[in-house]
Amino acid sequence: MTREYQRVHDRVKEYEVFARKTRQEALRLVGSVVAPDGDLAAAYARATYDEERWVEMAIVPRDAMTVLWAPGEEASE
Amino acid sequence: MSLGTLVLSLADNKQLLGLRYAEWAIRAPSLEADIAAAAMGLDDIGHSRVLLGCLDQLGDDPRGSERESDPSAYLNLAYFDEPWSSWPQFVAANAVLDTAFSVMIQACLEGSVEVLQSRLRKMLMEERYHFLHGRSWLRAGIAPEPLEDAWREALEWFGPPDGEVSDLHRKGQLAFGPAELVARLEERLETAAPRLELDWSDWDPRRRRSRQGTIDARTFGMLRGLEERKFMPSGAARGT
Repeated sequence: MTREYQRVHDRVKEYEVFARKTRQEALRLVGSVVAPDGDLAAAYARATYDEERWVEMAIVPRDAMTVLWAPGEEASE
Repeated sequence: MSLGTLVLSLADNKQLLGLRYAEWAIRAPSLEADIAAAAMGLDDIGHSRVLLGCLDQLGDDPRGSERESDPSAYLNLAYFDEPWSSWPQFVAANAVLDTAFSVMIQACLEGSVEVLQSRLRKMLMEERYHFLHGRSWLRAGIAPEPLEDAWREALEWFGPPDGEVSDLHRKGQLAFGPAELVARLEERLETAAPRLELDWSDWDPRRRRSRQGTIDARTFGMLRGLEERKFMPSGAARGT
């Protein structure tokens, strides 16, 4: 049976998690976490995506990203 | 009390804290919190191993054979005697006790003992995420009882103003004495410690606690490896 996960915080935000393994490569999106603030998002990102030996990890609130176009939309629209 | 006994107390408490965190890895309020509980549990059990590995070089390993049979030989706080029954107990331990241990690790790291200066640095880097986790959940608000319990045990664990931690500070082995440890804990948690009447008359300087009691039988069995032995093939238990 699938467990329903309860979000105890009233307001949560989605944070995108970026990381890279070497200085030469660019940061890439490795996943996301949901948290009420940046502190908890940082703790969750480190706990969830720490299985690789990243040289850098960063989080960005999803709503701080400016979407130029989304799936199904044309770049020129 | 020697520095070795204090380091053993830190190691035992981190081992029990790690076990109690891990017990919440499928019970926390969200999937992310489950994963964080598991990760922090692994961290603290690992920290315990590192601390135990320092005892030899401190020239004083206070572990005796009684640890095989007597749960009171473990130097853990009463807060870890039993599994936690509520999430606020987890949060209070995460925010207050885990941070209290980190403040003591900082005191060891900045003290004069070389093995502690060199081996404990990575621990504090990992603890930064435990702190962020605990502080954020604490800000969301929890019941006052577990928070007061955690504060009481943290203050007792730092010890009386004129106790052995103070002596170790005077010798330079610890960078901070009890008063500065409390001040640093308050500063990190951005709050004053609750006003608690601490009665040192029943305080056990070895276990650094006043409350009687020991870890529960199941946890003690797990620490001794008895739980794991139940699943061994019969010949393996005799080394055949």
